[in-house]
Amino acid sequence: MTALSRHAGALVLFGAAAVVPLVVRDAFFLDSLVLILLWGALSAAWNLAGGYAGQVSIGHASFFGIGAYAGAIMVTRFHQGPWLGMLLGVAISIVAGLVLGFLSNRLKGPYFALSTIALSQVLLIAVSRWRGFTAGGEGIPVPFRPGFATLGLGHVAWVYLALAVAILYYGAEMYLERSRIGYQLAGVREDEDAAEAIGIATRKLKVIAITVSAALTSVCGTLWAQYIGFVDPAYVFSVDLSVRFALNSIIGGLGTALGPYLGSILITLLETYLRATFSGLKTGFTGLYLVIYGAALILVVRWVREGLTGIAARLRVRMAGGARGARAHA
Amino acid sequence: MDPARPLGPAQIDAVAQLGVSTILLGGIYALIAVGLTLIFGIMRVVNFAHGEFLMLGMYLAFWSFTLWGVDPYFILFVAIPLFFLIGLLTYVLVMKGVIAASHNVQIFTTFGLSILLQNVALVAWSGDFRFVRPWHLSVALRIGGTTFNLSQVVAFVIAVALTIALIAFMKWTHTGRVMRATAQDRDAATLMGIDTDRVYRLTFAIGIAAVGAAGVLVAPLYSVYPTAGLQFVLLSYVVVVLGGLGDMAGALIGSLIVAAVEVAGSYVFGIAWKEIFYFLLFILVLVFRPAGLFGQRGSETLGA
Repeated sequence: MTALSRHAGALVLFGAAAVVPLVVRDAFFLDSLVLILLWGALSAAWNLAGGYAGQVSIGHASFFGIGAYAGAIMVTRFHQGPWLGMLLGVAISIVAGLVLGFLSNRLKGPYFALSTIALSQVLLIAVSRWRGFTAGGEGIPVPFRPGFATLGLGHVAWVYLALAVAILYYGAEMYLERSRIGYQLAGVREDEDAAEAIGIATRKLKVIAITVSAALTSVCGTLWAQYIGFVDPAYVFSVDLSVRFALNSIIGGLGTALGPYLGSILITLLETYLRATFSGLKTGFTGLYLVIYGAALILVVRWVREGLTGIAARLRVRMAGGARGARAHA
Repeated sequence: MDPARPLGPAQIDAVAQLGVSTILLGGIYALIAVGLTLIFGIMRVVNFAHGEFLMLGMYLAFWSFTLWGVDPYFILFVAIPLFFLIGLLTYVLVMKGVIAASHNVQIFTTFGLSILLQNVALVAWSGDFRFVRPWHLSVALRIGGTTFNLSQVVAFVIAVALTIALIAFMKWTHTGRVMRATAQDRDAATLMGIDTDRVYRLTFAIGIAAVGAAGVLVAPLYSVYPTAGLQFVLLSYVVVVLGGLGDMAGALIGSLIVAAVEVAGSYVFGIAWKEIFYFLLFILVLVFRPAGLFGQRGSETLGA
């Protein structure tokens, strides 16, 4: 496969995202685009631990929340720029990531997943109750101050910022896939005992993957808080959010660089469509769209088990199969 | 409390009250958790929708009390078979297809189910907080300086009776033995000619029947709303891991420990902080005794 065809999906996707703001000025559309890119990047960050290293976390909202709060508190309480908050968030997330990495070496599968939820719940409760510093359950409104240093940007600028992050994470994972560490991680994911037996430092690798994943999640958390302009613990540390990061990757394709973005497009569009069509205002039933969303989730997870990228790969093999198969059998 | 101060009558009463509260709370948590420990232990499925069945049980109690004035504790006779059927139906429609799939697929399937059920309740009955107030809720019992109400005691007695009945069922009936065998080694059980699909179907139905009954029992003690199950489901996982998965007697002890942590934590640090203690306890147990306090066999296949 040539480099071009390997990146074809990403080129189309990111290319479209780069061109759209030049043509479309509709705020709702641009807002959806920013969120698709941010959710995609967040899911790509999760994918590093959950997909590449096989350490499925349902507590990544911990790092998202740390990033969001670090930015918001830095701006409102210490009157510094959000970029400094982002750095602080990354530092704290690295520590929390090390804790999770330690847990990943003690626990596997559902036990690890449960421990990650517990971590996010501990943070949720701590931030909700520590009113004096975090403003508790009420949350913090983040003031809008125009300028790049304060991240007070218009919709178009936000699209490009989110796009830059998305491309950066995509590129990092593309590079990882072909690197020595990438292959070692695949070994850890597929068979940890076998990987250890051939001399791969599995424990260290898992900790590194989880910690880097935590730091990348935290960065997006800070960006998200500055973009939305409001943080509250019940949302930023919620299990729903953690599930969302994981879900995008699983639907898009676990352990693939493009998968999280495909999943993000599908889930975000599905959610937006359902919310618009079956909203409480239109149907008179609050929550009806979530009933359909829940049902769709069950079906999608069951039928798209290998992810969208997996399906695409199979189709490609089938299409190329005629020519190649003939040669192979000759 | 100042530890240097001698224990006067007031302190002794407080300790007795905390002890009684712990036991009453623990009994109810046990019934919620036994269903989960069955499903988690035997089917190896992390059921995130477990709390939603509890919530449905609470609504059943609420509506039958509000519409027909039926006491929640009589509704149990309807609730247990009804939730058994709901469990069977859920297994056939949702769980059967993912039982052989990866943990990821199972986790996200039950999470979807949880969103679905929560919002079905929201659409059908709105997000209002509802209350069930039967006469026995206002009957206070005072024994030896401790006070509690009749509802708590009845809920406790029924919950413990049901839990013990389940334990007896698992221990002494053939079906129970078959279920335990499947929990310990799925492959060996299949080789011995056990129909695992039937075991899973039964396990899920029994687990849901137990949690549905628990929902009916706790309805007078907590407010009823669409996401009421959430606070119980994570707590139940603490109990299940503490007790060892699939170990029902362990779940009983685990429930008492969690209840003690909750009661003592809210007494000393205030009610707002109570949850943080059992999550910290949870992480500690996972780190130091992941196979449960008593080391349940078969848990290593789940990554303990």
